[in-house]
Amino acid sequence: MAKWGMVIDLDTCTGCQACTTACAMENNRLPSENWQDVLFYHEGTYPNVKLMWFPRPCMHCENPSCVSVCPTKATYKDPDGGFVLMDYNKCIGCKYCQVACPYGVRFYVDEKAVVQPDIRGVFPSEAGRQWDPPYKGPQDDPSRGIGIQPHGVVSKCTFCYHKVSKAPKGVADLDEDIPELKEYVPACVRVCAPKARFFGDLDQPNSNVNKMIADKRGVRLKDETGNKPQVYYLSGGATASVPSLRSMSDSDKG
Amino acid sequence: MTSVTVSNKEITSKQLGIMLLALIGLGIAGGIAISNLMAEGHAAYNSSNLGLFWGFPIVIYDYFLLTSTGLAMIASMALIFGGEDFRPIVRRALWLALAGLIGGVAVLMMELGHPLRALWAIPFSFAFSSPLYWKVMAVSFYVISLLILQARMMKADWRMQDLRINAMITLALALGVTAIAGVVYGSQSFRPFWASGDIPVAFIFESLLGGLAFIIFFTYLAYAFNAAAVPDSVKRLFNDRLSGLLALAIFIHLLFVLARMSSGLYGNAEGLQVWQTLATSPLFFAEIFIGLLLPLVLLMYPGTRIRPWAQILASLLVMNALLISRYEYIIGGQLVPLFKGSWAPELLSYAPSPTEWLLLLVAIFLSNAVNAFGEVTLGLGREG
Ligand code: SF4
Ligand code: SF4
Repeated sequence: MAKWGMVIDLDTCTGCQACTTACAMENNRLPSENWQDVLFYHEGTYPNVKLMWFPRPCMHCENPSCVSVCPTKATYKDPDGGFVLMDYNKCIGCKYCQVACPYGVRFYVDEKAVVQPDIRGVFPSEAGRQWDPPYKGPQDDPSRGIGIQPHGVVSKCTFCYHKVSKAPKGVADLDEDIPELKEYVPACVRVCAPKARFFGDLDQPNSNVNKMIADKRGVRLKDETGNKPQVYYLSGGATASVPSLRSMSDSDKG
Repeated sequence: MTSVTVSNKEITSKQLGIMLLALIGLGIAGGIAISNLMAEGHAAYNSSNLGLFWGFPIVIYDYFLLTSTGLAMIASMALIFGGEDFRPIVRRALWLALAGLIGGVAVLMMELGHPLRALWAIPFSFAFSSPLYWKVMAVSFYVISLLILQARMMKADWRMQDLRINAMITLALALGVTAIAGVVYGSQSFRPFWASGDIPVAFIFESLLGGLAFIIFFTYLAYAFNAAAVPDSVKRLFNDRLSGLLALAIFIHLLFVLARMSSGLYGNAEGLQVWQTLATSPLFFAEIFIGLLLPLVLLMYPGTRIRPWAQILASLLVMNALLISRYEYIIGGQLVPLFKGSWAPELLSYAPSPTEWLLLLVAIFLSNAVNAFGEVTLGLGREG
């Protein structure tokens, strides 16, 4: 059984946000509700200011707190692949999973839009969904949180389940450079121009992702939560790095 | 103090007036809130995807839920340990527990994305790892136990000793609901503002405090604040026992708040910096000085503690302080965004929207209407 995981090399990441855009296109995301976001912030005070960025998808935790708190089992861990998925048909919109995810990667669909104009009003849906954009992906699987969301539920990154789950059985890595595999590569990984993202099976010792984690001492974000993310970050400290703080103190405001 | 005789008929007509007012209020507040929600959807609330997910409706819900369990704890402890002195307030406290719960749950239902789905999706999910699953199940059994207890007291000659087992079950469920409500927050280890093993215990004391304040206030309300009409047995109970217990509960709650504040101000953990903002806010000062210390003084000072006005005022202030306390805790725990990025500021800001304030009124009016209905139909003051 595969346990899919992602490696993000922060030394290579340029903060270009192609991943965010690709995810938004693939999954019909709304502005500001980025399943895959690149967080920008600055650290230090003038003149020692550093612009920082940090790409952050859902971690598809091994031990996900969002799953354990869900009172309806609408959020669940898929045993076949290790994806953490949403069943829109069971979600009651209580938002406990949002409160309980230490990584802040979940979205309630009906909130006031952070970015205006509210595009949901521009393309309203008549089918009880959140919106009806002119282009939408053909995949629709509400039991796995794929497709345009209905109202009243929480959403999150699926690790592009609709692609990855169709990959040939037994492959160790999904690499966009291998022509016969590129269709199965998650959108954010596939478009990453500087090739800072890698996707593979963490259960296969010889997978490229496992080797990178070992060779470059991959770290997991906020590992102290016990959630055990399946997303690993590589960082030599040259550019972006795994932030140790969730927020900056006053002296860091700059 | 002069005592006047007030006929049951008179009380009933006053309660009918209260019920009518509450229903009118409910119609107006609920009507506007529902029309806002139909027009704007969830955007009518000021919570957001920036990190503040649980806003004022959850504060209102937990406030009413925990005062309900506090009332049930007082009633069931009175039945188990209290003796006949408590007889005049037991049925009122139990009915009030139900009335408050109805107000709180109604607001929760208006906030949930799929309230009707919740009715079957939670009980049949068997999601044993979720505190919310346990909370919903415990609340369901709690309601049943309240109803059974109330039903068994419908006969005029009900005897306390016959109800001990029912009271013990109700007490266990009320404690369970309250403690689980504390676990919902206290177990979020990466939100240091919330996370603490003492939260379930703090919640139990808060519930008791709320229950005491509510039973004193609503007993006076049952007599339309005409102290002369309140039966001597009730006055005796308030003067001898309940005002002292209320003072003690205020003191314990105050200790919990101040202890949490001092460790919050000293602690460096991410999230605790909210205390620096909170502890200097006018709301916090109002809670501590007006909502808790002033009633404490009123109830400790022998010259005022037996005065009905002081008891009513103290209860009212405590009821407000607890709402502030609940607000600060639930909102405060979310003010530090989990990750500061391009979209999120240092500390999130939040103030309830007009619709959210209306939901508070909905809960108040609905609970009052249900409570007055009980006063009118069940003769809750009969034992006085
Ligand atoms: S990152 Fe958050 S939403 Fe994703 S699996 Fe982990 S806890 Fe759940
Ligand atoms: S919002 Fe939905 S997925 Fe999240 S905890 Fe509630 S029911 Fe589960």
